Amino acid sequence: MTRVALRGIRSHLGRFLLSVLAVLLGVAFVAGTFSLRTMMSSTFSELVETSTVGDAYVRGAEQIAAAASADMAAVRTGVPLDLVEEVAAVDGIGTALPEITGPIVLVGADGTAVAAGNGPPSFALALHPEEPSTELVAGRAPTGLGEVALETATLEASGLAVGDSAQVVLGGELTPVDVVGEVSFGAPVAGATIVFLDPVTATEVFAPEGLVTSIAVYAEGDLDEEAVVERLRAALGPTLDGLDAEVATGEAVRDETRAQVEQILGFVSTFLLVFAAIALFVGAFIIANTFQMTVRQRQREFAMLRAIGASPAQVFTSILVQALVVGMLGSALGVGAGVGLVAGLREVFARMGMELSGQIPLDGFTVLVSVLIGTVVSVAAAAVPARRAALTPPVEAMRDDVAAHDRGSVIRAVVGGLLLAGGVAAVAVATLGELDEPGMLLGAGAAGVVIGTLLLAPTVVPAALRVLAAPAVLALRPLGGLARGNVTRNPRRTASTAGALMIGMALVGAAAVLATSTQASTRAIVENESTADLLLQSATMAVPAEAAREVGEVDGVGAADLLEVATVTVDGDARTAIGVEAGIFTRALDITVVEGALESLADGEVAVQRGTAEDEGWAVGDELEVRGAAGTLSLTVGAIIDSRAIGVPLVLAQEQYGELVPAGQSVIDSVFITLATGAEVEEVRAAITEVITPYVVVTVLDNEEFADQIADQVDQILVILYALLGLSIVIAVLGIVNTLALSIAERTREIGLLRAVGLGRFQLATVVTIESVLTAVFGTLLGVGIGVGLAATLPTVYADEGLTTLVVPWSQLGVVLGLAVVVGVLAAVWPAVRAARLDVLDAVSYE
Amino acid sequence: MRALVDTSGEGQIASARGLVKTYGKGEAAVRALDGVDVDFARGELTAIMGPSGSGKSTLMHCMAGLDTPTAGTVMVDGEDVGRMSQRRLTRLRRTRLGFVFQAFNLIPTLTAEENITLPLDIARGTLDRAWFDTVVDAVGLRDRLDHRPTELSGGQQQRVACARALVSRPAVVFADEPTGNLDSRSSGEVLGFLRRSVDELGQSVVMVTHDPTAASYAHRVLFLADGRLVGELEQPTTETVLDALRDLGAGREAADHDASLARPSGHAAPGTAGARHAAGPVPR
Repeated sequence: MTRVALRGIRSHLGRFLLSVLAVLLGVAFVAGTFSLRTMMSSTFSELVETSTVGDAYVRGAEQIAAAASADMAAVRTGVPLDLVEEVAAVDGIGTALPEITGPIVLVGADGTAVAAGNGPPSFALALHPEEPSTELVAGRAPTGLGEVALETATLEASGLAVGDSAQVVLGGELTPVDVVGEVSFGAPVAGATIVFLDPVTATEVFAPEGLVTSIAVYAEGDLDEEAVVERLRAALGPTLDGLDAEVATGEAVRDETRAQVEQILGFVSTFLLVFAAIALFVGAFIIANTFQMTVRQRQREFAMLRAIGASPAQVFTSILVQALVVGMLGSALGVGAGVGLVAGLREVFARMGMELSGQIPLDGFTVLVSVLIGTVVSVAAAAVPARRAALTPPVEAMRDDVAAHDRGSVIRAVVGGLLLAGGVAAVAVATLGELDEPGMLLGAGAAGVVIGTLLLAPTVVPAALRVLAAPAVLALRPLGGLARGNVTRNPRRTASTAGALMIGMALVGAAAVLATSTQASTRAIVENESTADLLLQSATMAVPAEAAREVGEVDGVGAADLLEVATVTVDGDARTAIGVEAGIFTRALDITVVEGALESLADGEVAVQRGTAEDEGWAVGDELEVRGAAGTLSLTVGAIIDSRAIGVPLVLAQEQYGELVPAGQSVIDSVFITLATGAEVEEVRAAITEVITPYVVVTVLDNEEFADQIADQVDQILVILYALLGLSIVIAVLGIVNTLALSIAERTREIGLLRAVGLGRFQLATVVTIESVLTAVFGTLLGVGIGVGLAATLPTVYADEGLTTLVVPWSQLGVVLGLAVVVGVLAAVWPAVRAARLDVLDAVSYE
Repeated sequence: MRALVDTSGEGQIASARGLVKTYGKGEAAVRALDGVDVDFARGELTAIMGPSGSGKSTLMHCMAGLDTPTAGTVMVDGEDVGRMSQRRLTRLRRTRLGFVFQAFNLIPTLTAEENITLPLDIARGTLDRAWFDTVVDAVGLRDRLDHRPTELSGGQQQRVACARALVSRPAVVFADEPTGNLDSRSSGEVLGFLRRSVDELGQSVVMVTHDPTAASYAHRVLFLADGRLVGELEQPTTETVLDALRDLGAGREAADHDASLARPSGHAAPGTAGARHAAGPVPR
């Protein structure tokens, strides 16, 4: 029987080709994601390995646990620089070097910031000549404020050369510097922009209070790391405890860093794997459809096998063997394609200045998981048609025109209907009810709606397609009618072909609604809450303090209010806090006060966001213990606010903020500018632009542009989502091609007959095209309908999260529908040409 | 007996001259039609008979423009079918020809009525209601028009196919073993209708069959053997057809012998009248 199965594949390779391709694409996505992750992770490990080479590190005790903090890095108190001497003096210690680092903006040869934005970080490091991890490749080490050395990749990306003059934004000030050297870590730095300063300058800028994040300790001779830690503890124990500092081995620090990297990469690859799973799920539809059709075509063959003594189990197995071959072949090719995909991506990253580690890793795990997933999906998808083939009685199968028996259709429709109804009910409850966690119910409801629709689709196909086909039937007689007959004669097949497209389109519809609603909500927030005339922001997310100060002095600027951000702890939990001038709420921000008064900020009280206050049970008058890197304060809640422009839990007045957060660690998120009375916006704006131009990364925006900028960011995310969904849509289109090709093969004689009674080739191709477009439009309508319907509930459910306005982008959805028509036409090309090329006589006498 | 080849061209609806059809190449080449000259009369039901492999289906396929002849000319209703492009052939099939196949004649997704009017729909022609009613009444399917093919019996399906073949008033209807899959009663209905379509509606029908009873419904029966026309019979009855077939079996060796003598270097050039065939063992 296995031989029969394998021969069957060989002689009908074409039938399985698209199934193989579907598996290939899905598996390529999976394998690509895994090996991209491995490549990224080995790049970062290498970087950690070569840059963190100390035998031990003295650092502040963990103040906020890594897991609790939103950005995942542990927040630690600083250690005093004076400790360096004491550490170095301990017996067996060779050198102790403070790690002094902070943000910097390097202006490249083309006058723009090097690697500014949301990508890899840009930072400055103190270059200690004794540091073993760095190597001076060219030139010399920097001395003094006017000199820097650049990391090799940074030097290349900046377009500068050793000996050139350049500018940096350092400590909030624009500083002219000379590039005096090139420094290498001996490993790719994954696109980070790294500028080296001499330790004195770095200390002045980044550690004015004499606090550094950590001190790297290098042993004298061959002392192992544990021993170094032991000695330091023994010698400096009480001092360290007094400073709330700790000593960790180099390996422990490297492990922590690696764990952080893995965690971030884990999020990224989980995100990608979700899309890979969608692609594979869609691919499973194609496989199921292919086997359903080939099984139907070969029913007589199975009947013959049964007649000569094959058992149902053997027939079943022989079909699964075919699925196995399809799955393994597709998976094997898919793994190859995945590696190709990553190689392409690496090339793209390299072009963008993000050098990644050497070879593309393809470990056994990746291969195993990818092949396993592809194969299991194939076999599972083929199981239902295989079972059907095995259970069909031989006599029935021998008959000429085998009617498709849908015994399960009623049960399926009932289950589908129940799921759909349940799903809608769950969504309704989540939308209307006063649930604490509507998210879970909403998700379950959405799943119910999607699965219910998939199950119910075959039942609605005849009616739905009759409506959809009506224009074609009227306009193109008799072609439209023929096409309608073809798509409705096997509702289940049409439904599952369209279902594959439906899934991708549902996500597209939902993403479109969500994106447009987010943009509209943001715009509403900006318009409602921001009363400032202009706003300063930075591409590096940190406006240089000097730029902010200079802008404040521009003629016509009435007030320039800083909005500074830092992480603090409140009663032990990490919270993002902003520090503002109390007056900002009368000048630039008009936010809703739920309780208390914002004027209390001026008296040293604190304002909290309503959501946080509700979660924590804080009320006006409560005392909070707020702790920052620079100190601890006990503050009274003076106001509860409800603001989406200020999305952070804690608002502090500048005085208290300054006591909690060391100047070196504070970030100016944005500057709100209010014009002096009588000043002309355009004139002031021109003056401000002149002041900030040298800072390269700073831009001045009005409210409209600010909203546009956020809208652009949303659009960028949408483009990425669409690109990722694109694959599943491509696979769904392959599914349409597949179904058309196989159903044309199935009705060869019918086509011969039509041609014999005078149907032209072009007319035949038109029939096939109408079928394709009908299927594509049906799937798209279902999908977009579901996606839009579900996404429309989100603003109600997540209004508190800032999603206040529901906007359905009808024109965008119209484009999607138009696209479905185009997709339908494209999918029809190959099957239509094949059908038109059939020889009339061959077709008529086709067995 | 009337001459097989009517040189006047008056009474014929379709004709072939020196028709040769070869399948395959070189050693494996099979000569399915070996120089056939034939005329099909207007307003007659002509049956083509012959043993399996005699070339009767190939002859019909070539006449109907479904297959391209290797050599020779085919004229249907005054047009040279052999030289037509695919596009013109499609148009010819649409407007001038009707087809009835052995099986699988109907589009399963269309009702009987839609199947009948399909050629007109495809050709965007206007339906002559009176003619449609005439045809439908003739096949006796008035009460079955809304049914799908799967809801019709085999005989009913073939009658729908016949009605479809006639609805566009074609110059000639080609029927390829129209009763091959039917029981004798259904066969009788279909054949009776085909004969009536000629006698009462003035159609011309060419039918391939291997069933002597079916052939007996024809005005004239042509006999083919080994790709050549070997005889004919007018006003046949089942008995005379059977006799003719028996004689044909006996006479085949003689005919082969005759052919090999008359063909020193391949076959005679196309177009030369094959009057020799008329000398075949045609029983009177």
